[in-house]
Amino acid sequence: MKYDIPKSDRQVSMVLDLNKCLGCQTCSVACKKMWNTDAGTDYAYWNNVETMPGKGFPADIHDPDTAGRNLAGETKRGKLPSIDTGYGRAWKFNHQEALASTAQPVKVWIKPKEEVKWGPNFDEDEGKGNYPKDNHYFYLPRLCNHCTHPACLDACPRAAIHKRKEDGIVLVNQDKCHGYRFCVEACPYKKVYYDHVRQVSSKCIFCLPRVEEGVAPACARQCPGRLRFVGYRDDQDGPIWKLVEKWKVAIPLHPEYGLGPNVFYVPPMSPPQLDDQGRPTGQPRIPLAYLESLFGAAVKPALDVLLAEREKKKRGEPSELMDLLIAYDWNDNFKLAPRHREVLA
Amino acid sequence: MKQTVSLIPAPTVIQPGGYVPAAYADRGTPRTAQAEVAVEAAGKGWKITLSWACPKPVDDIANETDKFIDACAILAPTAADAPWMTMGAPGQAVEGYLWRPDRQEPWQIHAEGLGSVRRGAAAGAKAQGAWSQGRWEIVFELPEWAALERHRQVALAVWRGSDQERAGLKSVSPGWLSLD
Repeated sequence: MKYDIPKSDRQVSMVLDLNKCLGCQTCSVACKKMWNTDAGTDYAYWNNVETMPGKGFPADIHDPDTAGRNLAGETKRGKLPSIDTGYGRAWKFNHQEALASTAQPVKVWIKPKEEVKWGPNFDEDEGKGNYPKDNHYFYLPRLCNHCTHPACLDACPRAAIHKRKEDGIVLVNQDKCHGYRFCVEACPYKKVYYDHVRQVSSKCIFCLPRVEEGVAPACARQCPGRLRFVGYRDDQDGPIWKLVEKWKVAIPLHPEYGLGPNVFYVPPMSPPQLDDQGRPTGQPRIPLAYLESLFGAAVKPALDVLLAEREKKKRGEPSELMDLLIAYDWNDNFKLAPRHREVLA
Repeated sequence: MKQTVSLIPAPTVIQPGGYVPAAYADRGTPRTAQAEVAVEAAGKGWKITLSWACPKPVDDIANETDKFIDACAILAPTAADAPWMTMGAPGQAVEGYLWRPDRQEPWQIHAEGLGSVRRGAAAGAKAQGAWSQGRWEIVFELPEWAALERHRQVALAVWRGSDQERAGLKSVSPGWLSLD
């Protein structure tokens, strides 16, 4: 038996302009403070920011052939990340010892109590390439993609996951969840987490109580870089439709997973490489093939449009796209409307 | 009643959703091949002993994200034709007890089909599990159980945590076992 995934009436969506992300993690903190403070969610980040190229979080999620759907739409076997090697445990620090040392002759610095091997942002800012000629990295904020064809939904034998008809938000009913974690396995983006204390799955809910009031999710509202846009995919007056459909500069992460993600990214326009004399070569630092491994073939035309529109703006010509991405008026980044709240039976 | 039961793998093809039938299509052999079960009346209630070989027991999954715990369940039908393989069907419920080594008390379970299992406190029921020399032995001390008394049939399920068994990934008895 395969679950029918009914088409939602509308789909709430997000676009993130990677050219503006500072890697400050304000979004991660805003989300975690709001939703993931329980003991069983120490390691869970409904929203996180990864340095790319990098291993991602949990480790190696960008490796090919990690779950998703095949061309026939069937789900593929995925893996369950280990808390040690995949996520990294929350480290314990010597706070007491360090704080008590202030009046001591030898200062004790705050440091982890154990040897640390992996954790979120363990490879932050490392990147790739040769410094200073062609070294490069960029930040990739990630959240649940609230997919059109979510694998997590298909994976739950208890039908505890559903996709809301009114806005396409994918939710776990934790009263029905028995913690089997097929959903964690099946999601190639690894954006379903297991709360090992309550023994249930949990995931990004796109801040649905806020969305229902017409307010954008906390990650978007708290972003100091103003890189996030929130709205409905079919709203032709809204930023999502313009960036995804009209200008085609916002593209999904790993489209090859076949899940129809509804979070989109404006790819990074990297500065040029330098030659031996330190002069710009005109070649982008981030290899196109690498960006294509993340965003698929649509990345090249998206970059071409972005570069062309940027040049127009430089020449003093108008550019709707650049004006939208610049976000002169931050309110224009968010186009939601209050809706009735869902009442679960 | 006391007998050795050859177990079969619960077929993944009937599991709900599209993922488990596709991802676990290769589960053609039972991870636990055999179990011993003894059912005896104990006053108004029942004493049920279930044991099986388990070389690598998993009795604690606290603070882990990728480990699954050993478990077993014993079922009885509330309707004469309740299918055991699908955990009953609408209008043909099955009920029983689920033991896990990380819990003090067993859960009472009730189901009317795959994916419909409800777990709750098992009033008056106890279950004591012990692993020794490569085997689990679980002793259920159960209160009066009308379904068992009436239909005099039980079915078994065993989950091997070290093979990531949970939910429909399990070894089960090949049908209802008669007490008579």
